[in-house]
Amino acid sequence: MDILMSVWEFFQNNILVKPQFFIGFIVFVGYMLLGKPIYECLAGFIKATVGYMILGVASGGLVGNFRPVLVGLKDRFELSAAVIDPYFGQAAAQMSVENVGRSFSMMMMVLLIAFSMNMLFVFFRKYTKIRTLFITGHVMVQQSSTALWLVLFCFPQLQDPQVVGMLGVLLGTYWAVASNLTVEPVAKLTEGGGFATGHQQMVGIFLVSKLAKKIGDPKKSLENLHLPGFLSIFNENVVATGILMTVFFGAIITVLGPDLMHSIDKSFGKNQNFLFYIVEKSFYFAVYLTILQLGVRMFVSELTNSFQGISEKILPGSLPAVDCAATYGFGHPNAVTFGFLFGALGQFLAIMGLIVFNSPILIISGFVPLFFDNATFAVFANRLGGIRAAAIIPFFSGMIQVLGGGFAAYYFTTGNFGGWHGNFDWDTLWPVIGVIMNNLQYVGVAAVVIILLAIPQILYQRNKDTYFVIAEDFDKYKEIMAKKQGVSVDDVVID
Amino acid sequence: MAKLKVIAACGSGMGSSQIIKMKLEKVFKKLGLDAEIYHTNVGDAKSQANNYDVVFCSESLVSTFGKTTATVIGLKNLLSEQEMTTKVQEKIIDANK
Repeated sequence: MDILMSVWEFFQNNILVKPQFFIGFIVFVGYMLLGKPIYECLAGFIKATVGYMILGVASGGLVGNFRPVLVGLKDRFELSAAVIDPYFGQAAAQMSVENVGRSFSMMMMVLLIAFSMNMLFVFFRKYTKIRTLFITGHVMVQQSSTALWLVLFCFPQLQDPQVVGMLGVLLGTYWAVASNLTVEPVAKLTEGGGFATGHQQMVGIFLVSKLAKKIGDPKKSLENLHLPGFLSIFNENVVATGILMTVFFGAIITVLGPDLMHSIDKSFGKNQNFLFYIVEKSFYFAVYLTILQLGVRMFVSELTNSFQGISEKILPGSLPAVDCAATYGFGHPNAVTFGFLFGALGQFLAIMGLIVFNSPILIISGFVPLFFDNATFAVFANRLGGIRAAAIIPFFSGMIQVLGGGFAAYYFTTGNFGGWHGNFDWDTLWPVIGVIMNNLQYVGVAAVVIILLAIPQILYQRNKDTYFVIAEDFDKYKEIMAKKQGVSVDDVVID
Repeated sequence: MAKLKVIAACGSGMGSSQIIKMKLEKVFKKLGLDAEIYHTNVGDAKSQANNYDVVFCSESLVSTFGKTTATVIGLKNLLSEQEMTTKVQEKIIDANK
């Protein structure tokens, strides 16, 4: 017994609380179970572990690069600040978790439990009415990170196993229920493309699919619009981040002034020109984001691979819920750019509003929510409500992102580390869940899970005859709709 | 045909490009083509395109690639093995006959 205890203690101290080894260990065991040769298991272990360690370096760099600016803002204006972006949010969540002395390994356990929950829901879909399995690995990592901090914030006294168990159930329920909401909108957009969306704006997509037809006319679509060619540079992540960060940090650092920056940032050389200092500082964000993404890609690709395999083998008849960018091919390229532009307009106006009304927190636009959320909304909005909906919806989404993200970064204190998750669902649904958890504690968590699970039941009750058909066989769905409308299949109207 | 070097690209180089890659691996196997398939973001793929034989990406990103020695194939449905099979047949197998 004593030997067993000391083995467990060794495992706990060296692997379980060290996220890099824990992740490597999971990949190693997973590969062994798949019957891969030992050298491939070892390669997987190394890639996953190194990938995670790269992530750690980048998160530290990102927050460290931000710190002088945060100190300056605090010093001069009593302000805190946050970039609303899932990568900044993930870094800030990790720092927050470690700052209260807890292990970030829990993030990985939460992810695995939540994924298993989602699988169970699909497996029992006869009762749960869940048709989708969330398999977007990098998004699962980001969401597990932020949600882990929310639970530790609301339940600081809770032991690790309880934290992991409770959050695993909560997050797994969200993944299942929210991705299930996108089945109809995505199937109609892609004419039975065979997938759903598993990303960061799933509730948003559902709302857009309900609102867009009320806002505009699909016949007045944005296909005929000619957008200037230079906008295509925003297709590149590094370029877009470099530009965004230079604009925002340029403005902030200019207001703080060279004297203050000299006194708080040692990396600002005595003879360095102020303008070049700003550009260098801003570009460092692009540097750390690129490193961060490299790390994530290294350990997540192993994960996504096996998730994809599971979804095909174990759960036939269900839909994989994947990255929102998979829908872009079904919208006009103009829609993507349009969403980004109007989202940016909404965000900038809301940020000015924060400044004018003396908000205690300043929000800085991050590229991922700005681009991916609003471009996705525009693709769906354009199909149902034309150019008018594709402009108005991303505009308001941009404002909501800033206001909701600002509230969350302030309330959940991740503003101390300069970031918040920032994607649509995490500026709307999740702050609400967080506040409920914080005030009602366990009762709140139970209530949230029950309410979420009721949503697919309500959807099912409304369309019993087509609910599963639309996910399994779109042609058959069209036939049923044609019969209902009393027209031939070619003339059926699907909206 | 010699071993093909293929790269799948998407905006961030994380989600969709990996999905394309996994689906492509199946399609290539089914068609009996020998290929090494990688995935990355658009910016990266653009600067490296000439080192690859084929680039796969969403239709909306095809225009970013401009002039390159690689064959750039745009996909409408990133998850459709059927669409991939047709396009691989047409643009790779038939084009090399």
